[in-house]
Amino acid sequence: MSTAGGIIRALNSGVKHLAVKRFTLRYPEQKLKFVGDGFQFDPQTGVGIAGLKGRHILFHDKCTGCQLCSVACEGIAEAIGMVKVKETWKHNKKAIMPQIDYGKCVFCGLCVDACPFYALYMTNDYELSSFTKSALIYTPSQLAVKPNISQDVEIKIGKRGATHG
Amino acid sequence: MATQLPPGIELEKVDDRIMTLNVGPQHPGSGHMRLIIKVDGDYIVSCDPDPGYVHRGEEKMAEYRNYIQNIPHLERPVIHDSCNILYPYCLAVEDLLGIEVPERAKYIRVIGSELNRCTYILYWLAIYGIFLGHSTMFMWPVGDRELFIDLLEAMSGARVTHAYFVPGGVRNDLPANFEERCLRQVDYFEKRLKEYEDIFYQNPVLKQRTEGTGILSRMDAIRLGTTGSVLRASGVDFDVRKKEPYDVYDNLDFETQVLREGDSYARSRVPYLEMFESCRIIKDALKKMPKSGSVRTKLKPNPKGGNDEVYRRVESGRGSLGYHIISNNRPEPYRVKISVGSFRNLICIPYLLKGEKLGNMPAVYWSLNYWPVEADR
Repeated sequence: MSTAGGIIRALNSGVKHLAVKRFTLRYPEQKLKFVGDGFQFDPQTGVGIAGLKGRHILFHDKCTGCQLCSVACEGIAEAIGMVKVKETWKHNKKAIMPQIDYGKCVFCGLCVDACPFYALYMTNDYELSSFTKSALIYTPSQLAVKPNISQDVEIKIGKRGATHG
Repeated sequence: MATQLPPGIELEKVDDRIMTLNVGPQHPGSGHMRLIIKVDGDYIVSCDPDPGYVHRGEEKMAEYRNYIQNIPHLERPVIHDSCNILYPYCLAVEDLLGIEVPERAKYIRVIGSELNRCTYILYWLAIYGIFLGHSTMFMWPVGDRELFIDLLEAMSGARVTHAYFVPGGVRNDLPANFEERCLRQVDYFEKRLKEYEDIFYQNPVLKQRTEGTGILSRMDAIRLGTTGSVLRASGVDFDVRKKEPYDVYDNLDFETQVLREGDSYARSRVPYLEMFESCRIIKDALKKMPKSGSVRTKLKPNPKGGNDEVYRRVESGRGSLGYHIISNNRPEPYRVKISVGSFRNLICIPYLLKGEKLGNMPAVYWSLNYWPVEADR
């Protein structure tokens, strides 16, 4: 192929893209849709349930304060510390629950794998930025809140290329 | 001015003709490493690569953590190829602990590893494009990489650093409708990949810059111990997936892509051709995968390896990647040695750049598929 012919073919292949739909996700207006309600784990079968590894959710009525999540995190990120809570539960005599520092967390989800009581899961919430470092430390009561998020866009593939809706 | 120097200190003699250039570690064209290049006019007289700026002691860190806690930090060296860097670790630990992996998990691991290989190659291709001044080739692969990141996110729950493979299988089963979604996106990607041919690989401007530069002969490639796409671009048919098939690669239908030229063009083209093979493997694996079944063998808490040592390797995006693990009856490994493709390819840089023009340095250096963070570990 001649040099000019090659350059014209390259240009032509670029020009064709004028008719292709925009692929970029327009992030703050659009948000990607994820499968499920976040990463979960079933200790009986030893297999997880697919989902995004985002912020954790802690179920106070199930947490026994066994510290297994904190032990699992020890060699990984050391993000989980056990703190005293004011609530009184029959199954949690020591009244301690995990507190997670998202400045350190690497979102590997191995703490969820370690929990034998279905008390710690992960959610689809990934927007955790804050203006101070201390606001990144989530107390047990903050972790108990179910995130309210709307995520609706996914990749669509049509005749004019792939697009984010 | 005092010309008397203290005893024992000498000034470096500066040649009138030869100039020393430091490319990196702050230079954007070198990654986290330094190339000490001596130039005579426009021609490179010698080149001395100086890695080690991002050494993080992954091997030492692995000695203080148990076999499960090692997973998140071992994938840090190559965060966008994290399935492939964990793969040999999982295979080695399975051999140490004597764990059987369920059939479905083996197929899922192959799919995850091939998706991740495409993600890595696209990222590398984007960098290669931008350093040759082809900014469209930066935008297209980075955009198309999103298709694979989307699939891996549905699979493992994270866009990069998936922490998905574990000794004994994978952490969770595939989500519902994953097969259809994967087939649809991989089919579309193959169509897109053919468009790269016209705009990049058959582009005369790229060919003039890369053809005939940095030639590595077949014998040199073997003698220097190179691996991966560098070795295959020099005409050596070696792929760990074919020669020492692990998991289910021996049941799957694919070919090794080999080119004979050994120049920068061939080295940049081999990973591109491999992406077609990866798509073929993914489609084949989705067809042959058992539709249901367990995906993870349950481990004892804090499993202990016996007095044993084991070496396993896989084919990563940058060549063969091996783990040598020694255990001594404790929950932590005694020694973990990671042998990575990047570091093995680093040795060809002085040979390839000698006598080249300085302007060809990025074209040759980036064609090696070199990832500094992985090489330093």
